Amino acid sequence: MDASQDALSLGAIEVPGRLQLDRLALPRGALIGLVGPNGSGKSTLLQVAAGLLPPGPGGAVQWDGEPLASVPMLDRGRRAAWVPQEALFEFGFSVRSVVAQGRFAHGDDGAGVDEAVAQFDLVALSHRPVNELSGGERHRVLLARALATGAPLQLWDEPLAALDPRHGLEVLMLARKLSQAGGTVVFSLHDLRVAHCLDFVAVLHERKLRAAGAPETVLTPELLREVFGVKSRSGETLILELP
Amino acid sequence: MSDQPNPRQAAALALAIAALCLLLVVSLMVGEARLTPAQVVSGLLRQEEFASVVVWQLRLPRLIVGGLVGAALAAAGVVMQAYFRNSLASPGLLGVSSGGTAGAVVAIAIGATASSLWILPLASIAGASLATLAVIGLARRGASTERLLLAGVALNALLGAMTTYVLSAYERNTQILFWLLGGIEDRTWEHVAMASPIVVVGALLWPLGRPLDLLALGPREAQSLGVDVRVLRRKLLVASTLLSALATAVAGTVGFVGLIVPHLLRLAIGPEHKRLVPVSLVAGATFVIGCDIAGRLAGDLRLGIVTSLIGGPFFLWMLRKTL
Repeated sequence: MDASQDALSLGAIEVPGRLQLDRLALPRGALIGLVGPNGSGKSTLLQVAAGLLPPGPGGAVQWDGEPLASVPMLDRGRRAAWVPQEALFEFGFSVRSVVAQGRFAHGDDGAGVDEAVAQFDLVALSHRPVNELSGGERHRVLLARALATGAPLQLWDEPLAALDPRHGLEVLMLARKLSQAGGTVVFSLHDLRVAHCLDFVAVLHERKLRAAGAPETVLTPELLREVFGVKSRSGETLILELP
Repeated sequence: MSDQPNPRQAAALALAIAALCLLLVVSLMVGEARLTPAQVVSGLLRQEEFASVVVWQLRLPRLIVGGLVGAALAAAGVVMQAYFRNSLASPGLLGVSSGGTAGAVVAIAIGATASSLWILPLASIAGASLATLAVIGLARRGASTERLLLAGVALNALLGAMTTYVLSAYERNTQILFWLLGGIEDRTWEHVAMASPIVVVGALLWPLGRPLDLLALGPREAQSLGVDVRVLRRKLLVASTLLSALATAVAGTVGFVGLIVPHLLRLAIGPEHKRLVPVSLVAGATFVIGCDIAGRLAGDLRLGIVTSLIGGPFFLWMLRKTL
């Protein structure tokens, strides 16, 4: 590992029609939000970061300062986990067996699987076929699979969108715990109030990076107005917490 | 439901193997000249001249070809379904079998098959490969059921027309029926040899169970978990094309095996490929041998007719559930 404290850095990314990004470095051990209007390139950024989309000619992705291109395929499965926005299953694998797929790159079947199943409140569902679950339940299965990989870099595409308030909060708390334990969790979201509570925020606008940094310096009223077209003010609001 | 082999799965496998053993014996007994089990044994041991000829010259090659064809088509179906993430994908419906048939027929028509035993399967592989590439181009991976089936309809129509034209133009009309509705009567040890690589390809699929599971739930997800998806997909395409083509080269177009067998197996033993792949080889063989016996008992119905009579309604039932 080199001296860089960046868990993930992207340089000169060019995905035609979807994302153009000069440079973005995300700190290790942080809970990081990716915000931006629909179609601003959040999903594309996460897929490039996960090595699922080519970064374009001259583009570079680094994990812990190491160029992704030099990381063997199997190692990637141990070092980063990606969760898609849509959870679609054609075949009726059981919940537990899908979570256990997270261990593919480790070559073992069990380690951490039961814990991941429990973390996402899936114990009661663990023998059900995944193609019979609701959208939110399917999402929790994919998050549990990502957790089971034990990967220090977690890339989640809108993990909160399909979840009910309680499970949403639990996922946030878990992400917080992962980042406190030294992992890096990067996820896209639409709820700017949640974004305000994170360690680091990157704002995408019209398929370009608009700003990145601590939320209180980045999510200014001017930026919110320009990027999202909303007026913002602080004040009394409904606050939800786990009991 | 399907993490550890449970009693139900063990029972299903035992049942399939028992059924296969039973059918192996029955298959040697049934036909124009009926043999008793005792005659079958003495025939196998070459103790009785007549039974020996019937068993070794007629029924054993037919039995082995049937088993290999069934194993190949069922395994090809399993692989294609994981590749396209669609349980309706299969060699027959997607036109890959028709491609193999067209290739074989062209080779026969131009007289190329006389020179070597291996020209026919090679021509079949060439045809099936073209059809596979066409399906991928038309339907793309993970395509919707509609798109996939429409691509198959188009290819089946095109390749079927080609086969019919070639056969009628080259005055081998009697063979049209064989190639458009496959069968395994009059198969010889030569055909067994032609189909034998199926065993090798089937064995190569064996270790791919886990990666197949991951691919079946999404290629990008699989890649993020550490599967080299590009390499895996290439292997799967080659395997499914070879299996479909070799089966077609010795038996013509035998439909629906790759659709029915994997579907029923998923219901019985679950979708995990580390079990599905090996069991589909056994169950596919069992199914085709059983259909062949049923055809013989029903007054020499061709294998392709029997599988279509079973498979057609089955397919419509599946389609109703899917769409």
